[in-house]
Amino acid sequence: MSGKAILLLMMGFSMLFMVIANNFHGVSGQMTDNYVDYFNETTAYNIAVSGANLAANTVFINPTWTTGYNQPYQNGTMNVSVTILDAFKNIRQIESVGSFNGKTSTVRVIIAPSNFAKFAYYSVSEGTNIWWTDKDSVWGPFHTQDILRAYRKPKFMGSASSKLGIQHFTSAALDAPEFHRGYESGVDLVIPLDAVTSLKAPSLAGGLYFDGNEAGKSTIHMQFEYDNLLYRYNTTSPFDTLHLPTVAPNGLIFVENGTVRMKGTVRGAYSVAVSGTSGSRGSVFLDGDIVYETDPRINPASTDLLGIIAQKQVLITDAPPNYTDINIHASILAQDEGFGAENHTGRPVSGNLNLLGGIQQNIRKAVGMFNSGTGLYLSGFAKNYRYDDRLGFASPPFYPGTGGYEIVSWYE
Amino acid sequence: MGFSTILDILASVIIGGILLTIVLRLSDSAAEKTYNFSGELSLQQNLVTIAQIMESDFRKIGYSKDWVSWKMHPSYETPITEADSSSIKFYADINNDGVMDVIHYYLGPVSELASTPNPRDRFLYRVVNSEAPVGVNLGVTEFFMNYFDALGTPLTLPIIAPSLIASMEINIKVENVQAYDEKYSSAFWRQIRLAARNLQYR
Repeated sequence: MSGKAILLLMMGFSMLFMVIANNFHGVSGQMTDNYVDYFNETTAYNIAVSGANLAANTVFINPTWTTGYNQPYQNGTMNVSVTILDAFKNIRQIESVGSFNGKTSTVRVIIAPSNFAKFAYYSVSEGTNIWWTDKDSVWGPFHTQDILRAYRKPKFMGSASSKLGIQHFTSAALDAPEFHRGYESGVDLVIPLDAVTSLKAPSLAGGLYFDGNEAGKSTIHMQFEYDNLLYRYNTTSPFDTLHLPTVAPNGLIFVENGTVRMKGTVRGAYSVAVSGTSGSRGSVFLDGDIVYETDPRINPASTDLLGIIAQKQVLITDAPPNYTDINIHASILAQDEGFGAENHTGRPVSGNLNLLGGIQQNIRKAVGMFNSGTGLYLSGFAKNYRYDDRLGFASPPFYPGTGGYEIVSWYE
Repeated sequence: MGFSTILDILASVIIGGILLTIVLRLSDSAAEKTYNFSGELSLQQNLVTIAQIMESDFRKIGYSKDWVSWKMHPSYETPITEADSSSIKFYADINNDGVMDVIHYYLGPVSELASTPNPRDRFLYRVVNSEAPVGVNLGVTEFFMNYFDALGTPLTLPIIAPSLIASMEINIKVENVQAYDEKYSSAFWRQIRLAARNLQYR
């Protein structure tokens, strides 16, 4: 009898232990499942991000690539496709789907062609001893193919990049630039050698073309007067007038192998490009204010936009009225040289250089001189540069492209 | 009743008592372990859920499906509008519908959950746009963030210029809301560097 009781007791205990142990194992298993699920999701996400990065890199190397990937990766699978969202604007979407142990994650990246107009400041060469100091603020995107030389804490309010990294004047701790929208090192972005000359063809198809090779027509004086362009080949002749929406519906004005002298008030979106390399050919001289009819700082809906594109250089003329301030509303690109003031060491103190737009140049040029002890200007201009925010998403017609894409949206 | 019978009874009582004690101890221990294990499971599920929601939100900082319109938005330059050690407010198109949302994460005070046995738990609020804050008690006891600039240098709190933020570290600790014998279990999650992509591509 007692044997039976003990047996029953033991069976009861065993049952009890089994139920409890099963419960504990179940809870323990769920805990593990919890973390395994998180791990699987994270891995699927990492695979998707890797796919997007790989595809973006491939598109940057080969802009026409749309093949995509579908392959195993990190014990999961990576499925990447490239679709053209807008054929005219050449906007594309990379969609990368990462799968791992039943979990999937999707990353969508939209890329759009990039052009130099987006830069508030771009240079190929920064000069050997020019430093960005704590008195400098750059509004808008910044890039240099050179070293970014930092003294104390210059402020870069837009995205910033340099090909050759950062050089700190004293130390990284003391000379730390403030990057308000990130910084990337090792970015290689060259101005194409045909940035200007390639614009001849579109100017002949819906634009306005001037041939500087013709005798007596190497220098053209342009004066924008709203919808009209007044032009002449010397200062003694009267102006001829062209109605720009009629003669240049695509917005491009191109001067081949000549010199452009310009000023005026612009209505609408135009680009003035000049090619040439000998003497002053390929140069643009700003003879006076060149401004928008509608200032976008006052009316953000302004559609006035100007690109000044020179194969050689863009200079502020050393003559009145440029001795009492100059106002420039434009994005300026100088392919071989830079943007500066003519005779910057010998011209009189000329007030402020008020620029609304951006500068992209090969070599930094000076616009004036000042006494480093007193801070007083000895010649030329004091700089007052303001980035035109519209250039972040709009550009003057046919403004030279970088040849690549930029990421405009990243969804994950 | 003989002597041996008395001995049998005494022995039975002693053995029965020992068995009863064992059963009671087992019951108590089983209750405690079940409570703790269930609590740990619950808090770990809470933690994973919080982590997934936060990662999903934070990775969308500065993202908009309608990126053309967003580029013209006054806050495009600074999608993170406020950032402190235990709160952050930012713009993100959370629903992927082209309409920018304002997301606000912040930690409520301990006093809001004074009624729970755990003296440290708080509400972690996630407020989208102008909706009323609704607290869900997931046992969060710590939520703090550190921010880094584009060169990876830690930014000093409080953040005066949120536009300098290029990446962030997120730390969350959760505990049981109530525990057996006040032995609270805890779990900690840290995202060492979360860099929202759209902060780089502004």
